[in-house]
Amino acid sequence: MHHWLTTILIVFPVASALLVAIAPFSTYWLGSLAALASLIEVGFWITAASKFDFGSSQLQFSQRASWFRDLHVSWHVGQYAFSLWFVGMTVVVMAACTIYGWWVGRDRGRAYFALMLVLTGAIVGVFTSQDLLLFYAFFEAMLIPLYVLIGVWGGPDRMRATITFVVYTVVGSLLMLASIVVFGLQQGTFDLTKMSTSSSTWLFLGFVVAFAIKSPLFPLHGWLPITYRESSPEVSAVLSGVVGKAGLYGLLRIAIPYFPQPVHDWRVVMLVLGSASLVYGSLLAFRAPDFRGVVMYSSLAQAGLIVLGLFAHNSLGFDGAVLQIVNHALVSASLFLVAGMVERRTSTGEFSKLGGMARGRPALATVIMVAGVISLAVPLSTSFAGEFLILAGAFQQGWGWAVVGAVGIVLAAMYMLRAISGVLHQDVGPAVSDRATDLRLGELAIVVPLLLCLLGLSAWPNLISGHATTTSSDAGAWTRYAP
Amino acid sequence: MSAAAWICLLLPLASAIAITVAGTAIPRRVAGWISTATTAGAFVAAVVAFADMWSKAPQSRGQVTTSWTWLSAGPYHFGLSLLVDQLSIVMMLIVSGVGALIVAYSVGYMDGDDEERRYFAYMSLFVFSMLLLVEGGNLLLLLAGWGMVGLSSYLLIGYHQDRPSAIAAAKKAFVMNAFGDATMALALFLLIQHTGSLDYRAVFAASPHSGGVANLIALGLLGGAVAKSAQLPLHTWLPDAMEGPTPVSALIHAATMVTAGVYLIVRCHPLFEHAYVIQDLAAGLGAATLLMAGLIALVQTDIKRVIAYSTMSQIGYMFVGAGLGAYPNAMFHLMTHAFFKALLFLAAGIAIHAIASEQDIRKLAGIGKLMPFTRTVFLIGSLALVGVFPFAGFFSKDSILAAALQRGWYGDVIYAAGLAGAFLTGVYTFRLFFIVFTGEPSAFAREHFHRHHGKEGPSWMLAPVAALALLSCIGGFLQFSPVWHPFSDWLAPAAGSLADPTNTQEWLTSAAALAIGLAGIGVAWAIYGAKRVAAPRAWPVLQQKFYWDELYDVLWYRTGDLAARGLYALVETPLIGGSIAAVTGAFGLGSKELSLAQTGLVRSYALALAGGLAVLAVVFLAAR
Repeated sequence: MHHWLTTILIVFPVASALLVAIAPFSTYWLGSLAALASLIEVGFWITAASKFDFGSSQLQFSQRASWFRDLHVSWHVGQYAFSLWFVGMTVVVMAACTIYGWWVGRDRGRAYFALMLVLTGAIVGVFTSQDLLLFYAFFEAMLIPLYVLIGVWGGPDRMRATITFVVYTVVGSLLMLASIVVFGLQQGTFDLTKMSTSSSTWLFLGFVVAFAIKSPLFPLHGWLPITYRESSPEVSAVLSGVVGKAGLYGLLRIAIPYFPQPVHDWRVVMLVLGSASLVYGSLLAFRAPDFRGVVMYSSLAQAGLIVLGLFAHNSLGFDGAVLQIVNHALVSASLFLVAGMVERRTSTGEFSKLGGMARGRPALATVIMVAGVISLAVPLSTSFAGEFLILAGAFQQGWGWAVVGAVGIVLAAMYMLRAISGVLHQDVGPAVSDRATDLRLGELAIVVPLLLCLLGLSAWPNLISGHATTTSSDAGAWTRYAP
Repeated sequence: MSAAAWICLLLPLASAIAITVAGTAIPRRVAGWISTATTAGAFVAAVVAFADMWSKAPQSRGQVTTSWTWLSAGPYHFGLSLLVDQLSIVMMLIVSGVGALIVAYSVGYMDGDDEERRYFAYMSLFVFSMLLLVEGGNLLLLLAGWGMVGLSSYLLIGYHQDRPSAIAAAKKAFVMNAFGDATMALALFLLIQHTGSLDYRAVFAASPHSGGVANLIALGLLGGAVAKSAQLPLHTWLPDAMEGPTPVSALIHAATMVTAGVYLIVRCHPLFEHAYVIQDLAAGLGAATLLMAGLIALVQTDIKRVIAYSTMSQIGYMFVGAGLGAYPNAMFHLMTHAFFKALLFLAAGIAIHAIASEQDIRKLAGIGKLMPFTRTVFLIGSLALVGVFPFAGFFSKDSILAAALQRGWYGDVIYAAGLAGAFLTGVYTFRLFFIVFTGEPSAFAREHFHRHHGKEGPSWMLAPVAALALLSCIGGFLQFSPVWHPFSDWLAPAAGSLADPTNTQEWLTSAAALAIGLAGIGVAWAIYGAKRVAAPRAWPVLQQKFYWDELYDVLWYRTGDLAARGLYALVETPLIGGSIAAVTGAFGLGSKELSLAQTGLVRSYALALAGGLAVLAVVFLAAR
């Protein structure tokens, strides 16, 4: 039974999507059906986590069925310890976002909820496939619902946003496809558990550029500003919270373990790009005129920080990166959803028109404050734990990387406090009317569980950092997932 | 003992959570009671732990308990552990004891504020954070507490959320402290690299004993210490922090949090002793701060800012002590300072509370006649601050200076600075006292003064102040270095003193400091007591506080702002988003000729991508 769990995690939301697509219900009931399905998906994941053997370094809940026999392509899915956390953050964030869509009552609900569920299954597929072509198929399957979700339910400038997003991702996907095909044909198999390492720089760069577009990393983040601003808030939350993580996952699962020599040769370049993204994103977040702008550029900065951890080449950086990926998924989803809740009340996210919302709205103020200070990695929070491990790891590569990271810590405090005050404090902004209510119970039910996850992790970040890999030494931390 | 330490730590956290979750389900006043009761409970738990420790042999009093592994990665493990030893128990008693008095005072002070619950949740969060800081069993938890007190300080400075000056002050305090956190984190990374651990014992045993690394570790820790304790050059946030409610200033920005830098140096003294250059630097910065803050305090007109600069100055003395290796003396001064400085703030708070929230000493002039109780306790606090026998400051401040006499010419310079500081302390303290509490009440004070049920304030406020006044009178007798020194003996196993001045030096220093302090009081009397000079004349350099704010504005804020604007204008818009503008243009031109527009689109995006790749290629080539 257990070996079905990964497959169930992928297939269940897709099957639910089909049900939503054909069920003869009103939009409201379709939404509740989707919400229920997303919660059941979380339940499946909790089952998986409770049955997972963290003491074993083997692939778990794995299932393999031949697909294209001639090419040695197969449906091969399964989870390592770190994949389990990727899947967990995906199902939790997707549940919150789906329920948010239900709560605000998106129009054309049938299509909307079906797409959100398909997206859930596809992202879980990306994080669990152990076959490169299957990975590629899920990667693409993840993008298609997003095109529609941005293009149909986005803001006024949504077409431009969609086209920008499509062009960037298609270029990335083509590079990745080329690399996958060549790599697979060289190896004679596409099964990741059977492939051995390669020293081809070109293949490595193909993967890295594709993943850097997705993550995103400076200077390939051109799709980020317009896409995150024009999407509906829950789609921005999905993009920043989990879809971007697919790029980082690709670095972690494919680019780093299978290309040890190119990784060694190009490590400094990657660290430079990570640092550049961190500082560049932080500075632009400090200037961003709106709430979403701050969260969006802080996502760029966080992606840079995580890349610093991944390419730090040691267990501190590696485990810290996995922890920070989960942290950022939860915190950026919370912030985007809260930004959406603010926008619903004021029709704007611009700081020049906001302010003073804390007075008389204690729940909104508490939620923004908690999410904000966790996002800026106040010590004792789980993001602090993640950043600390990442920078301690980067420090061992050279003190300069950690100094850049430390500058990033200070800048994060500056931009996030500016954003918090811009919404909550000082004079009441022109867009904030007395009729703008405090968060309603339904909204709290969406965002508070995300914050509780973060607070729980703050009490015990070791749940992830200590259970992401199984070895307790630095030896092999690097190529642990390549045979 | 360990159970008591955990209860001491967790009670205030439970209070913060309970008040937040309960929200409007409990009356505002009950939030104050919960907060007071839990802080007092923490004090009781600390006393229990102290009594337990007292019964043990001196060498077995330190105890580490770990609840669970908080964070780990590969071979590195960092536990959620508490260290209770002679040093941390002293801090626990001060934090929870003085904290309980000040929280109780807040019940009266904040009465009627429509967001009392938020205030008390923040106060409880602060007490928890500060206890975590002093009880944390490894450097990572110390840093965690360090950041959490910064967070609570930010929340409480910015308590008046609709006041732009309060929000600006709160952000300034947080960012400046984040800078200190960052340098501390760098020191911790060095320690991980060189010792593989962050547990105090392992780190002290394995850290490099000399050389550049040892210096860098101590320097990083010192960066955190000067930021938290508002010492040069990271001091500018503290005066602005007076935007917070007065009890907050008393608890966080006088009695406990700002002295955390002293605790850090004393706690990590083995690391500092391996880096004597940095230790000298700490003492030097302390001496410079105590002089500079004393000078600025001479011309301030806001009653709380005068006391804030005096806090900076007094912490300067503690840094001198900690830097010179006179750890018990620094800790003793930390304790007495917590008593008399909290007393001064709370007494000032009674006056502010009674007279229309006014803080300008020119408007508060002469209120002593209206408020005799406040005048008496403020006088006690002032005398303790100047160090007049037999009040608390006399016993603690002078022994720090005596320790300086053991350190050659450098020590002599610091000694002279300390004596000069004692003179300044006398002048600015009694300038404040004479202006505010002697002479005839000003018209403003007469008009706005109101009694609270026939008293100067609610009993919730007066009782804690009386308790602190008592402590300021008798607290010093715990130790008089030339004659008896149980406090130093108690701390000796955890942080034994390196300095050992002779009894002659102690006596002479006490006499000299007392005489100089009295001279300062005399000068203040001559100017402000006898002649009633209302508004002091001041040099611009003092009024502008030596231009530090302007310097940081240019160095950090404007630079960052400029860099962000520059990147936005020169990189983000034309290079990264340039294609987007091209697309908009293409849409405008070719909305009818759809196919044409689409071609234009893809091309322009391809161009942008090619541009991005080109930048990437350049970076690759340059970095290789």
